[in-house]
Amino acid sequence: MNARLLLCAVVLVGAVGIVAGCAGPQGQAFMDNIGGVEGLMKNIKQATGTIQEPEEIEMGEGITETLLGARPMVNDPEVQRYVNFVGAWVAAQSDRPNLPWHFAVNDSDHVNAFAAPGGYIIVTKGMMNLLQNEAELAGVLGHEIGHVVRKHHLNAIRKGAYMNLLGAGAAGATAGSRGGELVNALVGPTKELYSRGLDKDDEFDADRIGVVLATRAGYDPWGLAAALQTLAKIKADDKYMALLFKTHPNPSDRLDKLGTAMGTTFDRFNDRPQNADRFQRAVAKIRMVAAN
Amino acid sequence: MTRTRTWVAACMLLGCSAAWAQETGYTLRETEVKAKPFLDAQSVGKLPEKAQVTILGRQGGWSQIRADKVEGWIRLLSMRLGSADPAKKPTAVATTIGFGRRGTGAGPTVTTGVRGFSEEDLKEAKPNPEEVKKMETFTIPPAGAAQFAAAGGLTAQTVSYVDADGKPVKVKK
Ligand SMILES: [Zn+2]
Repeated sequence: MNARLLLCAVVLVGAVGIVAGCAGPQGQAFMDNIGGVEGLMKNIKQATGTIQEPEEIEMGEGITETLLGARPMVNDPEVQRYVNFVGAWVAAQSDRPNLPWHFAVNDSDHVNAFAAPGGYIIVTKGMMNLLQNEAELAGVLGHEIGHVVRKHHLNAIRKGAYMNLLGAGAAGATAGSRGGELVNALVGPTKELYSRGLDKDDEFDADRIGVVLATRAGYDPWGLAAALQTLAKIKADDKYMALLFKTHPNPSDRLDKLGTAMGTTFDRFNDRPQNADRFQRAVAKIRMVAAN
Repeated sequence: MTRTRTWVAACMLLGCSAAWAQETGYTLRETEVKAKPFLDAQSVGKLPEKAQVTILGRQGGWSQIRADKVEGWIRLLSMRLGSADPAKKPTAVATTIGFGRRGTGAGPTVTTGVRGFSEEDLKEAKPNPEEVKKMETFTIPPAGAAQFAAAGGLTAQTVSYVDADGKPVKVKK
């Protein structure tokens, strides 16, 4: 499936952007292929199933190009390797262990973490500084892995609100490589989606998955809760938190929901490792301390 | 070397897991204090709602606390960090992380400009394919991840997903 077809398929699912998404010369060819507007409508349902894993990964790569375009990776191979070790181990406990999972710490002082379809996950340097141990990191990465496993971003992009943007991007894309075209088309939806955020229920869902994956990975199950405790004490208008707080339910609500979901079920793993030492060694070079 | 840095180093050597500053918190509701971090451990007292506590540590879903007249363990999620008094200035990221922790009352002293990831930064972002290629070079194969886990004393566990009410959801794995 080439990128143009993928785009059209994605746009079709949303129904909103049929014209915008497939109006170019290639789009016209695609429309002819499946037999006019009536055929298009008929194919909307089928299109839902056409985003296969390779296309999902390609989309994730495109989204990540924009996310890393906002802030590049922090220049510390050790910490990059470290988050990939933790992330790969946690992701191996998920329902999609065979995705090519990639993790990165970006060079941002803001506290946040992002997931893109296909297994691309970014944690900010600010977040790494706020966390206290590997169990907390495993919980945070588990939350992001949860978004990928449940295809939260992929499904959000399929929804109407992003279809016009995707369509506009596709129509405006200049001729180039297939990947380039896809990336161009994804720039608008990426910016919109990652500054608006997912549905609250997707976030609560990802919290529960994060806890379970970290527990399966052998960590203290309460790492995510502990990290959220730290987030919960920070004032709501702190500029370092602005985007995270805008795109996620407030940490105290997340803690309430986690409390109900976790109950005492996870207590049998309370003595599992937090690995604070290994974490502190790994983040030593990206510590944010005023130099005076 | 700054004092904060030394403090962090000492903290690492001594193996204390909490932040280097004395962490405080408050109870969300009336809360039983246990002698040990177990549900069936002996009760050593009760804290009212909004009781101020000093956090001494954490084990799993339990926080070790010291309050006015009692010391022991309470459920992690029966409390929040910081002060129950809304008039007390809430914490900023800068102080939590440490780069504002000079005790001078002045704002955070960050030598370089803030490297943000704000909505504006996102809006102005240009796709950076080279960075993604670089990110992909750090990928760890499954065998490597398992080795890393073993070195960290981690053993895989079997646990079901849970729904919002805490009921087990069918495990696909
Ligand atoms: Zn999330």
